[in-house]
Amino acid sequence: MSDAPATAAPAHTPAIELRGLTKRFGRTLALDNVDLVVRPGAIFGFLGRNGAGKTTALRLLSGLARPTAGVAYVLGHDVSHATDAVRSRIGFLPDVPGFYEWMTAREYLDFVGRLFGLDRATREARATALLEMAGLGLVTARVGGFSRGMKQRLGIAQALINAPSLLMLDEPTSALDPIGRREVLEMVASLRGRTTVFFSTHILADVERVCDAVAILERGRVVANAGIAELTTRAASNRLTVEVDGDGAAAAIAASLGTRPWLRSIETDERTIRLTVSNLPAAQREIPAAITDAGAALRRFEIDEASLEDVFVELVGGPAR
Amino acid sequence: MNGFSAFLRKELTEIRRTWRLWVIPGMLVFFGLTSPLIAALTPALVESMAASQPGVVIQLPPPSALDAYAQFIKNLDQFVLIAVVITGAGVVSGERTTGTAILALTKPLSRGAFVVAKIIAQIALLVAATLLGTIVCVAMTAVVFDGGNVARLVTAVALWLLYASLLVVVMTLCSAAFRSRGAAAGAGLGFYFLTLLLSSWGPAARYGFVGLWPALRDALMGEPLAVAWPIATALVAIVLGVTGAVWIFERQEL
Repeated sequence: MSDAPATAAPAHTPAIELRGLTKRFGRTLALDNVDLVVRPGAIFGFLGRNGAGKTTALRLLSGLARPTAGVAYVLGHDVSHATDAVRSRIGFLPDVPGFYEWMTAREYLDFVGRLFGLDRATREARATALLEMAGLGLVTARVGGFSRGMKQRLGIAQALINAPSLLMLDEPTSALDPIGRREVLEMVASLRGRTTVFFSTHILADVERVCDAVAILERGRVVANAGIAELTTRAASNRLTVEVDGDGAAAAIAASLGTRPWLRSIETDERTIRLTVSNLPAAQREIPAAITDAGAALRRFEIDEASLEDVFVELVGGPAR
Repeated sequence: MNGFSAFLRKELTEIRRTWRLWVIPGMLVFFGLTSPLIAALTPALVESMAASQPGVVIQLPPPSALDAYAQFIKNLDQFVLIAVVITGAGVVSGERTTGTAILALTKPLSRGAFVVAKIIAQIALLVAATLLGTIVCVAMTAVVFDGGNVARLVTAVALWLLYASLLVVVMTLCSAAFRSRGAAAGAGLGFYFLTLLLSSWGPAARYGFVGLWPALRDALMGEPLAVAWPIATALVAIVLGVTGAVWIFERQEL
């Protein structure tokens, strides 16, 4: 890692690397010793409920705030000493973007293009393409008259004007209607492999739809960090559904399983038993034996598919701060 | 200072396209038009008021172009400087609270360039507005009083402009330092009244920039000017103020 002016980072350099990143506001610990690596080209979801510390992390990554401890590297450079050369390679959209309301959308993109030092022809070409992408191509009104959704789409457009290597989006779909949300997610997905996208959200469906990997933040700490498939598989391997023949057999089997050390929770209805277990192989061995002992017949034994929502609820299901 | 020219261009366009174009230039043109008229009408008004009081006789010398210029400078000293304080209070804090600074400063725009561009744009507006107001005042005075010593007025206006530029810098510093526009305006008004008060204290007026206040009157009256120290200290204060504003803003978290 280097603090020297940025040049194109080697392909293996993480797009984002956080080492022990900590941010404290007075007595409140907003980020607590966060370690995280985002590989180049990934679409990375930064998931957490409101107040988990997502926006704080993005403010640190964009150089708007300084960490209390730890280091944040963006494209190989410590952002505490981020040079304009680093900023020239990132795109950033805050949760509530603020625009000069007297400008039109095209004027704003032109202004941002000038900040990046783009020549006139490039500015005009990119502004036209991005306004079209954002559904603002025909809008000539000043930004002051825009709806929140229009501002959000303009925010995404301005974040892309420099064709960034890393795009950081804070809750990019929260103000959008379902169609706008789908368009933004499609746009994000279209950047896969070309641009690293790091976006924070509390909308699980968005993450499931476009992200390759996800980190779940809870009370300032990363409680999960893996690929989506890995996370859901890991959670799924803990949840079983067992269906048996025989009236009342489910309750008897549940009673006999109730003391097993690997059992975390169990629910039954007439013929179905739903279990969460801590040791799947042990459960796979012992449950059929318990069914036989109860004189019932096994109809179905299924390891459930988990959704990201199941994972999220399991990890952060406690009361909010 | 990367992004400086793009941001300065934005600032100047913003002045042209928003209310900022009308406040200070509007005031200066208004005072340029009305100062000669007020100077011409004041003796007649005072005498008519005195006439309604039995036994009171007030005789004023006939009004002159000098009275018109003095009235203009008095308006600059009071109303325009207070307008500078009020309009300057939100110059940085406004961008911070609306979130516009966040979007701009995550681009290749340094915080130093952000602050300096704002100061230059405000001073450019002030200089242009003062020039316009002074031309209007001189023209109106010529119509009402048949001429006057323009060189003295220009000298006084130039000294006023130096103090007003310092006030612009102080307001930018206050706006960078305080989260709220109201707190910045309060600090700016405190600075304005404190310098006004200090200007009547001999040593401060002789060696400090507060000496610009009495120098305005001396310039208009054609008295010998000893303004080397006030001018030098004002320039030093401007440089320190700009440096301080940048230093404060660079250390802030947005």
